[in-house]
Amino acid sequence: MESNPGTTETRSNLTASDGGQVTAFESLQFTDEIHRLILAPTTINASSFTALVELPPPQAVELLHSPDSTKFIAAKPPNVEDFKGSFRFPSNTSLIEPDARFSVFSGEANNGNENRDSPVSKILNSNLEKAVKSEPAETESAQPLVSDPPVEKRRIKRKGRENKVKGSTKKSKTAVNESSEDAEKLPYVHVRARRGQATDSHSLAERARREKINARMKFLQELVPGCNKISGTALVLDEIINHVQSLQRQVEFLSMRLAAVNPRIDFNLDSVFTSESGSLMDSNFPGLVMPVMWPEVQGDGHRQQYQHQWNSDALQQPVWGREVHNNYITPEKSLLTYDSSANSVTLQANQLKMEL
Amino acid sequence: MDLHNLNPSSLKSRFTTRFLRALTEINARKPIASSSSPREIFQRYRRIKDAADTSMAYSVRSRRTWSKATLWRLRTPSHRRRLASFGRRSSLNKTRTTTTASHRGAVVVQITSRGGGLGVQLEELRELVPGGEAMDLCNLLDETAHYIKCLTTQVQVMRTIANLYSLE
Repeated sequence: MESNPGTTETRSNLTASDGGQVTAFESLQFTDEIHRLILAPTTINASSFTALVELPPPQAVELLHSPDSTKFIAAKPPNVEDFKGSFRFPSNTSLIEPDARFSVFSGEANNGNENRDSPVSKILNSNLEKAVKSEPAETESAQPLVSDPPVEKRRIKRKGRENKVKGSTKKSKTAVNESSEDAEKLPYVHVRARRGQATDSHSLAERARREKINARMKFLQELVPGCNKISGTALVLDEIINHVQSLQRQVEFLSMRLAAVNPRIDFNLDSVFTSESGSLMDSNFPGLVMPVMWPEVQGDGHRQQYQHQWNSDALQQPVWGREVHNNYITPEKSLLTYDSSANSVTLQANQLKMEL
Repeated sequence: MDLHNLNPSSLKSRFTTRFLRALTEINARKPIASSSSPREIFQRYRRIKDAADTSMAYSVRSRRTWSKATLWRLRTPSHRRRLASFGRRSSLNKTRTTTTASHRGAVVVQITSRGGGLGVQLEELRELVPGGEAMDLCNLLDETAHYIKCLTTQVQVMRTIANLYSLE
Protein backbone atom coordinates (compact mmCIF):
# COMPACT_ATOMS: atom_id res chain seq x y z
CA MET A 1 0.00 0.00 0.00
CA GLU A 2 1.28 3.37 -0.76
CA SER A 3 0.34 4.56 2.67
CA ASN A 4 2.54 2.01 4.35
CA PRO A 5 5.82 3.87 4.33
CA GLY A 6 4.18 6.93 5.68
CA THR A 7 2.54 5.07 8.47
CA THR A 8 5.66 3.19 9.40
CA GLU A 9 7.52 6.41 9.64
CA THR A 10 4.93 7.90 11.80
CA ARG A 11 4.96 4.83 13.95
CA SER A 12 8.63 5.10 14.53
CA ASN A 13 8.21 8.71 15.37
CA LEU A 14 5.54 7.81 17.75
CA THR A 15 7.58 5.30 19.64
CA ALA A 16 10.35 7.78 19.95
CA SER A 17 8.33 10.68 21.07
CA ASP A 18 5.37 9.30 22.86
CA GLY A 19 5.82 8.83 26.54
CA GLY A 20 2.81 6.68 26.82
CA GLN A 21 0.70 9.57 27.93
CA VAL A 22 -2.38 10.78 26.31
CA THR A 23 -2.54 14.48 26.25
CA ALA A 24 -4.97 17.01 25.06
CA PHE A 25 -2.72 17.54 22.15
CA GLU A 26 -3.34 14.03 21.05
CA SER A 27 -6.99 14.36 21.49
CA LEU A 28 -7.03 17.44 19.38
CA GLN A 29 -5.16 15.69 16.70
CA PHE A 30 -7.49 12.84 17.08
CA THR A 31 -10.51 15.00 16.56
CA ASP A 32 -8.90 16.46 13.51
CA GLU A 33 -8.38 12.98 12.35
CA ILE A 34 -11.95 12.19 12.85
CA HIS A 35 -13.12 15.21 11.02
CA ARG A 36 -11.00 14.20 8.15
CA LEU A 37 -12.46 10.78 8.30
CA ILE A 38 -15.97 11.96 8.26
CA LEU A 39 -15.71 14.78 5.83
CA ALA A 40 -13.64 13.17 3.20
CA PRO A 41 -14.62 9.59 2.79
CA THR A 42 -13.78 9.62 -0.84
CA THR A 43 -10.16 10.16 -0.11
CA ILE A 44 -10.07 6.85 1.64
CA ASN A 45 -8.20 4.24 -0.15
CA ALA A 46 -11.19 2.20 -1.00
CA SER A 47 -9.52 -1.14 -1.08
CA SER A 48 -7.92 -0.83 2.29
CA PHE A 49 -10.97 0.60 3.92
CA THR A 50 -13.26 -2.07 2.71
CA ALA A 51 -10.72 -4.68 3.55
CA LEU A 52 -10.80 -3.31 7.02
CA VAL A 53 -14.50 -3.30 7.37
CA GLU A 54 -15.30 -6.19 5.12
CA LEU A 55 -18.19 -4.34 3.70
CA PRO A 56 -18.87 -2.85 0.35
CA PRO A 57 -17.65 0.70 0.17
CA PRO A 58 -20.94 2.55 0.43
CA GLN A 59 -21.93 0.75 3.56
CA ALA A 60 -18.51 1.15 5.00
CA VAL A 61 -18.63 4.82 4.34
CA GLU A 62 -21.99 5.00 5.96
CA LEU A 63 -20.50 3.63 9.08
CA LEU A 64 -18.48 6.72 9.43
CA HIS A 65 -21.41 8.96 9.54
CA SER A 66 -23.66 9.88 12.35
CA PRO A 67 -26.05 6.89 12.46
CA ASP A 68 -23.52 4.74 14.20
CA SER A 69 -22.39 7.50 16.40
CA THR A 70 -25.88 8.17 17.53
CA LYS A 71 -26.31 4.50 18.13
CA PHE A 72 -23.17 4.45 20.06
CA ILE A 73 -24.00 7.51 22.03
CA ALA A 74 -27.55 6.57 22.63
CA ALA A 75 -26.51 3.16 23.77
CA LYS A 76 -23.96 4.18 26.28
CA PRO A 77 -24.13 7.83 27.13
CA PRO A 78 -23.94 7.51 30.89
CA ASN A 79 -20.93 5.26 30.84
CA VAL A 80 -19.10 7.46 28.50
CA GLU A 81 -19.95 10.59 30.39
CA ASP A 82 -18.93 9.19 33.72
CA PHE A 83 -15.34 8.66 32.88
CA LYS A 84 -13.30 9.85 35.74
CA GLY A 85 -10.39 7.61 35.27
CA SER A 86 -12.32 4.67 36.59
CA PHE A 87 -12.73 1.83 34.24
CA ARG A 88 -16.06 1.54 32.59
CA PHE A 89 -15.94 -1.63 30.70
CA PRO A 90 -19.52 -1.86 29.49
CA SER A 91 -18.79 0.97 27.17
CA ASN A 92 -16.21 -1.19 25.56
CA THR A 93 -18.79 -3.48 24.14
CA SER A 94 -19.54 -0.90 21.57
CA LEU A 95 -15.92 -0.13 21.14
CA ILE A 96 -15.11 -3.66 20.48
CA GLU A 97 -17.65 -4.28 17.80
CA PRO A 98 -16.00 -4.23 14.44
CA ASP A 99 -18.02 -1.41 13.10
CA ALA A 100 -17.96 0.43 16.36
CA ARG A 101 -14.44 1.37 15.52
CA PHE A 102 -15.74 3.97 13.22
CA SER A 103 -18.56 4.94 15.42
CA VAL A 104 -16.02 5.60 18.09
CA PHE A 105 -14.33 7.98 15.78
CA SER A 106 -17.48 9.78 14.96
CA GLY A 107 -18.73 9.61 18.49
CA GLU A 108 -15.66 11.15 19.83
CA ALA A 109 -15.73 13.73 17.16
CA ASN A 110 -19.23 14.65 18.05
CA ASN A 111 -18.53 14.97 21.70
CA GLY A 112 -15.04 16.17 21.44
CA ASN A 113 -14.59 16.11 25.17
CA GLU A 114 -11.09 16.03 26.26
CA ASN A 115 -11.63 14.16 29.41
CA ARG A 116 -13.39 11.52 27.45
CA ASP A 117 -10.48 10.83 25.31
CA SER A 118 -8.05 10.04 28.00
CA PRO A 119 -10.26 7.49 29.71
CA VAL A 120 -10.99 5.97 26.37
CA SER A 121 -7.37 5.61 25.68
CA LYS A 122 -6.89 4.24 29.14
CA ILE A 123 -9.47 1.67 28.34
CA LEU A 124 -7.71 0.96 25.13
CA ASN A 125 -4.48 0.58 26.96
CA SER A 126 -6.01 -1.74 29.44
CA ASN A 127 -7.63 -3.71 26.71
CA LEU A 128 -4.36 -3.98 24.98
CA GLU A 129 -3.10 -5.88 27.93
CA LYS A 130 -5.89 -8.28 27.46
CA ALA A 131 -5.69 -8.55 23.72
CA VAL A 132 -2.52 -10.05 22.56
CA LYS A 133 -2.62 -10.26 18.83
CA SER A 134 -1.72 -7.36 16.69
CA GLU A 135 -1.06 -7.26 13.04
CA PRO A 136 0.88 -4.20 12.20
CA ALA A 137 0.74 -4.80 8.50
CA GLU A 138 -2.94 -4.95 8.41
CA THR A 139 -3.17 -2.05 10.72
CA GLU A 140 -1.12 0.12 8.55
CA SER A 141 -2.67 -0.94 5.36
CA ALA A 142 -6.10 -0.54 6.72
CA GLN A 143 -5.54 2.83 8.22
CA PRO A 144 -4.38 4.96 5.44
CA LEU A 145 -5.72 7.99 7.15
CA VAL A 146 -3.57 7.49 10.13
CA SER A 147 -0.80 9.88 9.74
CA ASP A 148 -0.69 11.46 13.13
CA PRO A 149 1.87 9.89 15.37
CA PRO A 150 -0.01 10.06 18.64
CA VAL A 151 -3.06 8.55 17.16
CA GLU A 152 -1.16 5.75 15.55
CA LYS A 153 -0.40 4.04 18.78
CA ARG A 154 -3.96 4.13 19.85
CA ARG A 155 -5.08 2.78 16.54
CA ILE A 156 -2.72 -0.06 16.75
CA LYS A 157 -3.86 -0.94 20.17
CA ARG A 158 -7.43 -0.83 19.17
CA LYS A 159 -6.67 -2.81 16.13
CA GLY A 160 -4.91 -5.36 18.19
CA ARG A 161 -7.86 -5.67 20.43
CA GLU A 162 -10.18 -5.91 17.54
CA ASN A 163 -8.08 -8.50 15.91
CA LYS A 164 -8.63 -10.57 18.91
CA VAL A 165 -12.28 -9.85 18.67
CA LYS A 166 -12.61 -10.57 15.03
CA GLY A 167 -12.51 -14.21 15.81
CA SER A 168 -15.89 -14.15 17.33
CA THR A 169 -18.12 -11.68 18.99
CA LYS A 170 -18.51 -14.19 21.74
CA LYS A 171 -14.89 -13.76 22.58
CA SER A 172 -15.33 -10.07 22.76
CA LYS A 173 -18.21 -10.45 25.06
CA THR A 174 -16.28 -12.73 27.30
CA ALA A 175 -13.40 -10.31 27.20
CA VAL A 176 -15.73 -7.58 28.19
CA ASN A 177 -17.23 -9.72 30.85
CA GLU A 178 -13.86 -10.61 32.18
CA SER A 179 -12.79 -7.06 32.12
CA SER A 180 -15.93 -5.93 33.82
CA GLU A 181 -15.47 -8.59 36.41
CA ASP A 182 -11.93 -7.54 36.85
CA ALA A 183 -13.14 -4.06 37.35
CA GLU A 184 -15.28 -5.23 40.16
CA LYS A 185 -12.47 -7.20 41.64
CA LEU A 186 -10.04 -4.35 41.55
CA PRO A 187 -7.94 -4.38 44.66
CA TYR A 188 -8.84 -0.82 45.50
CA VAL A 189 -12.40 -0.08 46.31
CA HIS A 190 -13.07 3.55 45.89
CA VAL A 191 -14.91 4.53 48.97
CA ARG A 192 -15.59 8.13 49.42
CA ALA A 193 -14.93 9.33 52.92
CA ARG A 194 -17.75 11.29 54.33
CA ARG A 195 -17.27 14.54 56.11
CA GLY A 196 -15.87 14.16 59.57
CA GLN A 197 -14.81 10.58 59.12
CA ALA A 198 -11.34 9.25 59.42
CA THR A 199 -9.60 8.47 56.22
CA ASP A 200 -6.83 6.13 57.15
CA SER A 201 -6.81 2.79 55.47
CA HIS A 202 -7.91 0.82 58.48
CA SER A 203 -11.06 2.73 59.09
CA LEU A 204 -11.80 2.79 55.39
CA ALA A 205 -11.55 -0.93 55.14
CA GLU A 206 -13.60 -1.30 58.23
CA ARG A 207 -16.19 1.04 56.92
CA ALA A 208 -16.42 -0.89 53.69
CA ARG A 209 -16.83 -4.06 55.66
CA ARG A 210 -19.50 -2.51 57.81
CA GLU A 211 -21.37 -1.32 54.77
CA LYS A 212 -21.28 -4.78 53.32
CA ILE A 213 -22.64 -6.20 56.52
CA ASN A 214 -25.35 -3.58 56.67
CA ALA A 215 -26.38 -4.29 53.12
CA ARG A 216 -26.70 -7.96 53.91
CA MET A 217 -28.66 -7.26 57.03
CA LYS A 218 -31.05 -5.18 54.99
CA PHE A 219 -31.47 -7.98 52.54
CA LEU A 220 -32.21 -10.38 55.34
CA GLN A 221 -34.72 -7.97 56.74
CA GLU A 222 -36.58 -8.01 53.50
CA LEU A 223 -36.44 -11.76 53.37
CA VAL A 224 -37.86 -12.31 56.81
CA PRO A 225 -41.43 -11.12 57.04
CA GLY A 226 -42.12 -8.54 59.66
CA CYS A 227 -38.58 -7.44 60.04
CA ASN A 228 -38.86 -4.13 58.31
CA LYS A 229 -40.30 -2.31 61.25
CA ILE A 230 -37.71 -3.44 63.68
CA SER A 231 -34.71 -1.26 64.12
CA GLY A 232 -31.56 -2.37 65.73
CA THR A 233 -29.35 -5.17 64.70
CA ALA A 234 -29.89 -7.32 67.75
CA LEU A 235 -33.66 -7.45 67.41
CA VAL A 236 -33.45 -8.08 63.73
CA LEU A 237 -31.10 -10.92 64.36
CA ASP A 238 -33.52 -12.25 66.93
CA GLU A 239 -36.26 -12.23 64.35
CA ILE A 240 -34.09 -13.95 61.84
CA ILE A 241 -33.17 -16.63 64.29
CA ASN A 242 -36.80 -17.15 65.14
CA HIS A 243 -37.69 -17.41 61.52
CA VAL A 244 -35.02 -19.97 60.78
CA GLN A 245 -36.06 -21.99 63.79
CA SER A 246 -39.69 -21.93 62.78
CA LEU A 247 -38.83 -23.01 59.27
CA GLN A 248 -36.80 -25.90 60.52
CA ARG A 249 -39.60 -26.93 62.84
CA GLN A 250 -42.06 -26.75 59.99
CA VAL A 251 -39.88 -29.07 57.97
CA GLU A 252 -39.91 -31.51 60.82
CA PHE A 253 -43.66 -31.36 61.27
CA LEU A 254 -44.29 -31.78 57.60
CA SER A 255 -42.01 -34.74 57.36
CA MET A 256 -43.83 -36.29 60.30
CA ARG A 257 -47.05 -35.64 58.51
CA LEU A 258 -45.75 -37.28 55.43
CA ALA A 259 -44.58 -40.24 57.43
CA ALA A 260 -48.04 -40.66 58.86
CA VAL A 261 -49.90 -40.00 55.66
CA ASN A 262 -47.83 -42.11 53.38
CA PRO A 263 -49.31 -45.51 54.08
CA ARG A 264 -52.05 -45.15 51.59
CA ILE A 265 -50.21 -44.34 48.47
CA ASP A 266 -47.15 -45.48 46.75
CA PHE A 267 -45.01 -42.68 45.70
CA ASN A 268 -44.69 -43.81 42.19
CA LEU A 269 -44.37 -40.76 40.09
CA ASP A 270 -47.23 -41.84 37.93
CA SER A 271 -49.44 -42.23 40.86
CA VAL A 272 -48.33 -38.92 42.18
CA PHE A 273 -49.55 -37.27 39.04
CA THR A 274 -52.74 -39.12 38.88
CA SER A 275 -53.44 -38.75 42.54
CA GLU A 276 -52.76 -35.13 42.27
CA SER A 277 -55.13 -34.75 39.42
CA GLY A 278 -57.56 -37.04 41.17
CA SER A 279 -57.43 -35.04 44.30
CA LEU A 280 -57.99 -31.93 42.33
CA MET A 281 -61.00 -33.35 40.67
CA ASP A 282 -62.41 -34.79 43.81
CA SER A 283 -62.26 -31.67 45.76
CA ASN A 284 -63.38 -29.79 42.73
CA PHE A 285 -60.50 -27.47 42.95
CA PRO A 286 -60.33 -24.74 40.48
CA GLY A 287 -58.62 -25.39 37.61
CA LEU A 288 -57.00 -23.19 35.65
CA VAL A 289 -55.18 -26.28 36.63
CA MET A 290 -57.54 -28.76 35.19
CA PRO A 291 -58.22 -27.93 31.60
CA VAL A 292 -54.57 -27.25 31.29
CA MET A 293 -53.61 -30.59 32.64
CA TRP A 294 -55.79 -32.78 30.51
CA PRO A 295 -54.21 -31.99 27.20
CA GLU A 296 -50.94 -32.82 28.85
CA VAL A 297 -51.87 -36.35 29.64
CA GLN A 298 -50.46 -37.96 26.60
CA GLY A 299 -48.40 -40.79 27.87
CA ASP A 300 -44.91 -41.51 28.92
CA GLY A 301 -43.36 -39.38 26.31
CA HIS A 302 -44.96 -36.37 27.78
CA ARG A 303 -44.41 -37.23 31.33
CA GLN A 304 -41.71 -34.72 31.78
CA GLN A 305 -43.98 -32.04 30.55
CA TYR A 306 -46.70 -33.33 32.74
CA GLN A 307 -44.44 -33.34 35.70
CA HIS A 308 -43.58 -29.76 35.22
CA GLN A 309 -47.17 -28.99 34.79
CA TRP A 310 -47.89 -30.76 38.00
CA ASN A 311 -45.13 -28.92 39.71
CA SER A 312 -46.41 -25.63 38.59
CA ASP A 313 -49.90 -26.53 39.55
CA ALA A 314 -49.26 -28.17 42.82
CA LEU A 315 -46.84 -25.68 44.05
CA GLN A 316 -49.11 -22.77 43.60
CA GLN A 317 -50.62 -22.58 47.00
CA PRO A 318 -53.08 -19.91 45.97
CA VAL A 319 -54.60 -22.41 43.62
CA TRP A 320 -56.27 -24.07 46.50
CA GLY A 321 -58.07 -20.99 47.46
CA ARG A 322 -59.52 -19.95 44.17
CA GLU A 323 -63.11 -19.92 43.25
CA VAL A 324 -64.74 -22.99 41.88
CA HIS A 325 -65.63 -23.20 38.29
CA ASN A 326 -69.04 -24.50 37.67
CA ASN A 327 -68.69 -25.91 34.27
CA TYR A 328 -66.13 -28.48 35.14
CA ILE A 329 -66.42 -32.02 34.12
CA THR A 330 -67.39 -34.16 37.02
CA PRO A 331 -64.91 -36.62 38.39
CA GLU A 332 -66.60 -39.49 36.67
CA LYS A 333 -66.37 -37.93 33.32
CA SER A 334 -62.80 -37.03 33.92
CA LEU A 335 -62.08 -40.61 34.76
CA LEU A 336 -63.64 -41.53 31.48
CA THR A 337 -61.44 -39.14 29.68
CA TYR A 338 -58.52 -40.73 31.34
CA ASP A 339 -59.77 -44.08 30.22
CA SER A 340 -60.09 -42.98 26.71
CA SER A 341 -56.54 -41.92 26.49
CA ALA A 342 -55.60 -45.40 27.53
CA ASN A 343 -52.17 -45.12 28.86
CA SER A 344 -50.52 -46.33 32.00
CA VAL A 345 -51.46 -43.15 33.74
CA THR A 346 -55.13 -43.75 33.35
CA LEU A 347 -54.97 -47.31 34.51
CA GLN A 348 -53.22 -46.32 37.63
CA ALA A 349 -55.63 -43.53 38.21
CA ASN A 350 -58.47 -45.96 38.18
CA GLN A 351 -56.64 -48.31 40.46
CA LEU A 352 -56.08 -45.59 42.93
CA LYS A 353 -59.66 -44.60 42.85
CA MET A 354 -60.66 -48.17 43.50
CA GLU A 355 -58.26 -48.59 46.33
CA LEU A 356 -59.35 -45.49 48.05
CA MET B 1 -50.41 -16.93 37.54
CA ASP B 2 -47.57 -18.59 35.83
CA LEU B 3 -48.77 -22.14 35.55
CA HIS B 4 -47.09 -23.23 32.40
CA ASN B 5 -43.77 -21.64 32.62
CA LEU B 6 -42.30 -23.00 35.78
CA ASN B 7 -38.61 -23.08 35.24
CA PRO B 8 -37.68 -26.74 35.01
CA SER B 9 -34.31 -26.04 36.46
CA SER B 10 -35.40 -23.83 39.26
CA LEU B 11 -34.63 -24.73 42.81
CA LYS B 12 -38.20 -25.68 43.44
CA SER B 13 -38.51 -28.16 40.63
CA ARG B 14 -35.11 -29.63 41.30
CA PHE B 15 -35.98 -30.16 44.91
CA THR B 16 -39.39 -31.54 44.11
CA THR B 17 -38.06 -34.10 41.71
CA ARG B 18 -35.42 -35.30 44.05
CA PHE B 19 -37.66 -35.37 47.03
CA LEU B 20 -40.35 -37.33 45.27
CA ARG B 21 -37.83 -39.82 44.12
CA ALA B 22 -36.52 -40.18 47.62
CA LEU B 23 -40.01 -40.64 48.97
CA THR B 24 -40.68 -43.29 46.40
CA GLU B 25 -37.55 -45.03 47.43
CA ILE B 26 -38.45 -44.88 51.08
CA ASN B 27 -41.86 -46.26 50.38
CA ALA B 28 -40.47 -48.98 48.23
CA ARG B 29 -37.98 -50.02 50.80
CA LYS B 30 -40.46 -50.25 53.62
CA PRO B 31 -43.97 -50.55 52.37
CA ILE B 32 -46.23 -49.35 55.05
CA ALA B 33 -48.63 -51.64 56.71
CA SER B 34 -51.76 -49.88 57.66
CA SER B 35 -51.01 -50.52 61.27
CA SER B 36 -47.66 -49.09 61.98
CA SER B 37 -46.20 -48.86 65.38
CA PRO B 38 -45.19 -45.42 66.50
CA ARG B 39 -41.62 -46.53 66.35
CA GLU B 40 -41.91 -47.37 62.72
CA ILE B 41 -43.55 -44.11 62.05
CA PHE B 42 -40.79 -42.37 63.88
CA GLN B 43 -38.25 -44.15 61.79
CA ARG B 44 -40.04 -43.16 58.68
CA TYR B 45 -40.21 -39.62 59.87
CA ARG B 46 -36.51 -39.56 60.43
CA ARG B 47 -35.86 -40.97 57.04
CA ILE B 48 -38.20 -38.60 55.34
CA LYS B 49 -36.69 -35.63 57.06
CA ASP B 50 -33.21 -36.71 56.11
CA ALA B 51 -34.38 -37.28 52.58
CA ALA B 52 -35.85 -33.80 52.46
CA ASP B 53 -32.70 -32.20 53.77
CA THR B 54 -30.53 -34.23 51.48
CA SER B 55 -32.54 -33.50 48.42
CA MET B 56 -32.53 -29.84 49.22
CA ALA B 57 -28.82 -29.82 49.78
CA TYR B 58 -28.32 -31.78 46.59
CA SER B 59 -30.35 -29.35 44.62
CA VAL B 60 -27.93 -26.69 45.66
CA ARG B 61 -24.96 -28.93 45.02
CA SER B 62 -22.02 -27.79 47.04
CA ARG B 63 -22.16 -24.22 46.03
CA ARG B 64 -23.06 -23.18 49.51
CA THR B 65 -21.40 -23.94 52.77
CA TRP B 66 -24.62 -24.95 54.42
CA SER B 67 -25.42 -27.48 51.74
CA LYS B 68 -21.98 -28.97 52.03
CA ALA B 69 -22.35 -29.14 55.77
CA THR B 70 -25.77 -30.75 55.52
CA LEU B 71 -24.59 -33.40 53.14
CA TRP B 72 -21.59 -34.09 55.25
CA ARG B 73 -23.71 -34.28 58.34
CA LEU B 74 -26.03 -36.81 56.79
CA ARG B 75 -23.39 -38.89 55.18
CA THR B 76 -20.75 -39.30 57.79
CA PRO B 77 -21.63 -41.60 60.65
CA SER B 78 -21.77 -39.83 63.92
CA HIS B 79 -18.69 -41.26 65.57
CA ARG B 80 -16.43 -40.23 62.75
CA ARG B 81 -18.10 -36.91 62.70
CA ARG B 82 -17.29 -36.37 66.33
CA LEU B 83 -13.64 -36.97 65.77
CA ALA B 84 -13.45 -34.84 62.69
CA SER B 85 -15.34 -32.03 64.25
CA PHE B 86 -13.19 -32.05 67.33
CA GLY B 87 -10.14 -31.56 65.22
CA ARG B 88 -11.74 -29.01 63.00
CA ARG B 89 -13.45 -26.99 65.60
CA SER B 90 -10.65 -26.84 68.09
CA SER B 91 -8.33 -25.53 65.48
CA LEU B 92 -10.73 -22.95 64.21
CA ASN B 93 -12.64 -21.75 67.19
CA LYS B 94 -10.61 -21.32 70.24
CA THR B 95 -13.34 -19.70 72.19
CA ARG B 96 -15.69 -22.61 71.83
CA THR B 97 -15.93 -26.05 73.21
CA THR B 98 -17.68 -28.81 71.46
CA THR B 99 -20.01 -31.41 72.69
CA THR B 100 -21.70 -34.09 70.80
CA ALA B 101 -24.97 -35.88 70.53
CA SER B 102 -28.14 -34.11 69.79
CA HIS B 103 -31.18 -36.02 68.74
CA ARG B 104 -30.37 -35.34 65.16
CA GLY B 105 -27.00 -36.89 65.45
CA ALA B 106 -25.48 -33.57 64.66
CA VAL B 107 -22.67 -32.13 66.56
CA VAL B 108 -23.87 -29.36 68.75
CA VAL B 109 -21.45 -26.68 69.52
CA GLN B 110 -21.54 -25.41 73.02
CA ILE B 111 -20.97 -21.79 72.64
CA THR B 112 -19.24 -19.51 74.99
CA SER B 113 -20.47 -16.02 74.70
CA ARG B 114 -17.97 -13.72 73.14
CA GLY B 115 -19.19 -10.59 74.80
CA GLY B 116 -21.40 -7.95 73.30
CA GLY B 117 -25.10 -8.52 72.92
CA LEU B 118 -24.61 -9.24 69.29
CA GLY B 119 -22.29 -12.07 70.03
CA VAL B 120 -24.93 -14.26 71.60
CA GLN B 121 -27.23 -14.01 68.65
CA LEU B 122 -24.43 -14.56 66.24
CA GLU B 123 -23.57 -17.74 68.00
CA GLU B 124 -27.16 -18.82 67.87
CA LEU B 125 -27.29 -18.14 64.20
CA ARG B 126 -24.15 -20.09 63.65
CA GLU B 127 -25.72 -22.92 65.49
CA LEU B 128 -28.84 -22.86 63.38
CA VAL B 129 -27.31 -22.56 59.98
CA PRO B 130 -25.48 -25.75 59.17
CA GLY B 131 -21.85 -25.17 58.60
CA GLY B 132 -22.04 -21.75 60.06
CA GLU B 133 -19.56 -22.26 62.79
CA ALA B 134 -16.50 -21.37 60.87
CA MET B 135 -17.65 -18.35 58.97
CA ASP B 136 -17.20 -14.69 59.55
CA LEU B 137 -20.19 -12.45 59.93
CA CYS B 138 -20.35 -11.29 56.35
CA ASN B 139 -20.48 -14.73 54.83
CA LEU B 140 -22.69 -15.96 57.59
CA LEU B 141 -25.35 -13.45 56.67
CA ASP B 142 -25.10 -14.49 53.05
CA GLU B 143 -25.48 -18.11 53.95
CA THR B 144 -28.40 -17.34 56.18
CA ALA B 145 -30.21 -15.56 53.39
CA HIS B 146 -29.76 -18.41 50.97
CA TYR B 147 -30.61 -20.93 53.64
CA ILE B 148 -33.84 -19.15 54.47
CA LYS B 149 -34.79 -19.08 50.84
CA CYS B 150 -34.16 -22.78 50.42
CA LEU B 151 -35.97 -23.65 53.62
CA THR B 152 -38.97 -21.70 52.45
CA THR B 153 -39.01 -23.61 49.20
CA GLN B 154 -38.67 -26.86 51.04
CA VAL B 155 -41.54 -26.09 53.36
CA GLN B 156 -43.72 -25.03 50.49
CA VAL B 157 -43.14 -28.18 48.50
CA MET B 158 -43.52 -30.48 51.43
CA ARG B 159 -46.68 -28.81 52.51
CA THR B 160 -48.15 -29.22 49.05
CA ILE B 161 -47.23 -32.85 48.92
CA ALA B 162 -48.62 -33.48 52.36
CA ASN B 163 -51.83 -31.72 51.40
CA LEU B 164 -52.11 -33.78 48.29
CA TYR B 165 -51.75 -37.01 50.09
CA SER B 166 -53.92 -36.13 52.99
CA LEU B 167 -56.70 -35.23 50.64
CA GLU B 168 -56.78 -38.57 48.98
